[in-house]
Amino acid sequence: MLHILLFTLVVAAISTVCIAPVALALAAWSWRAGTKGLVLDALAALPLVVPPTAVGFVLLEILSRRSAIGALLERIGVAVLFTPKAVVLACAVMSFPLMFTAFRVAIETTDRRYFDVARTLGASPVRAFARVTLPLAWRGLLSGVLLAFCRALGEFGATILIAGNIPGRTQTMALAIYDRVQNGNDHEAAVLVAFVVGIAWVLVSISSILIMQQRRRLDA
Amino acid sequence: MIEIDIRLPLAHFTLEVRCTLSANVTAIVGPSGAGKTSLIESIAGLRRARGRIAIDDAVLVDTARGIDLPPERRSIGYVPQDAALFPHLIVSENIRFGGTDRDRFDSLVAALELAPILSRTPASLSGGERQRVALARALMTRPRLLLLDEPLASIDQPLRERILLYLRRVRDLGIPMIYVTHQPFEALALSSWCVVLRNGAIAADGPSRSVLADPDVAGSVDNVFEVSQPAHDRELGITRATTSDGLTLVLPYDQVAEARFPIVVRIRADDIVVFGEKPASISSRNVFEGTVASLRATEGIVDLIVTTPAALTVRITRAAAQDLGLRAGSRVWLALRSRAFRIVG
Repeated sequence: MLHILLFTLVVAAISTVCIAPVALALAAWSWRAGTKGLVLDALAALPLVVPPTAVGFVLLEILSRRSAIGALLERIGVAVLFTPKAVVLACAVMSFPLMFTAFRVAIETTDRRYFDVARTLGASPVRAFARVTLPLAWRGLLSGVLLAFCRALGEFGATILIAGNIPGRTQTMALAIYDRVQNGNDHEAAVLVAFVVGIAWVLVSISSILIMQQRRRLDA
Repeated sequence: MIEIDIRLPLAHFTLEVRCTLSANVTAIVGPSGAGKTSLIESIAGLRRARGRIAIDDAVLVDTARGIDLPPERRSIGYVPQDAALFPHLIVSENIRFGGTDRDRFDSLVAALELAPILSRTPASLSGGERQRVALARALMTRPRLLLLDEPLASIDQPLRERILLYLRRVRDLGIPMIYVTHQPFEALALSSWCVVLRNGAIAADGPSRSVLADPDVAGSVDNVFEVSQPAHDRELGITRATTSDGLTLVLPYDQVAEARFPIVVRIRADDIVVFGEKPASISSRNVFEGTVASLRATEGIVDLIVTTPAALTVRITRAAAQDLGLRAGSRVWLALRSRAFRIVG
């Protein structure tokens, strides 16, 4: 059971680390773009509202041999479907909107004037963002990372479609709980649930504290 | 020389400004919402106005030629109204954000007296300290123009004089300044040229003293004088100083003893007492004979312009004006208490 927990944590961590730079870059772009950014905001939020199985289906189609991307991956010998890579991919896609949205809010709550003033002091947009906006938003950003990590821990619908539920290979906590309940092993399921709830509760609490601190600091 | 010819649509009107500024210090005066901040933000590059902005030979904006330099390439120092110090950096880090030249850092720290607060956080500073730090930070970039948005707005009276003193030092460094204010007397304290902005358009511009002498334009009833050649008399507690139009004012010694002349003083129009005949014995140290040049009555209040020959604005009640039988051409004596003078800076 411990290795399931460990596997889930590692997969969620990799997925979170992979999407963080992308989410940050897109959130920054969207912030600067103003109303033009709204299109991206809506697009990025999609996996949050459509059924995870629908996302899984789309990923399955993209990665299957019939598609150009699937064919290319096969030619270079990279297998994704029904491997741990697929678990990471499902986690990444499903937790991306949460991270992106949290980043967007975190950046938005920093006063834009600091960024503007930094530019009048000779800083390029990238430098002004890195040296002023990011340090002011770090609590909100970290909270977004934690939320995305928790979302990845609990990912089920897309994972089961593209990674299957292979014990010892692609089985995460969420899949293992499903498995135990299906087999009538309620005791083990309960232990797994306790683990997941415990971890998520701690991380979400930290995330909320960070958001509260950021708000207070910026109000002061 | 700064050439400005811009259009910028705002929520309620379009800011349309066309002027050439060659003074060392220009004040932009106008009521709240007149477009003052939008104008200097356009100059700084924080708002994208259409038209043309040039400083000497450097063209910052010329939309017809497709030129619109980003803020970081304009070399313009900008001090926003609340200073906008970076809250995550201490004072010295804030200042160094503008540049890393050690000599310049040291000389600015000395000129603006920042040494005692270098390791403090912005949150722990007073309004005046924040302004000074923001000023130093902007000056670290060696700007070709300095923009100040209401530099005195968040600062209480005694400290305002200090800030004005520092701003004068900056002016003496030879960096052209444009500063925004809604208080005409602040404009007079520092600027030689003044642009009055109303609803996004220039309502008046010209030498500050003549533009702001008109209450219709300035909307205020302050008398402001730049005084020099002080003669201190410590024992009697007075200082005599001469205004630029030749009036000799008697000021309270204790308030001006430390000041570096010339200084700017102001007295409110309703702090001046009017006599119909020459007062025989009176405690006011400033008594001037003059002629009522004009009267303007509004709901119980009468504003007089009295020429002594320097023009003074006096505000009295309608009852007082009737009792004294004041009309244009009336001979009057004005009494100005020394202690009613406020030092603007």
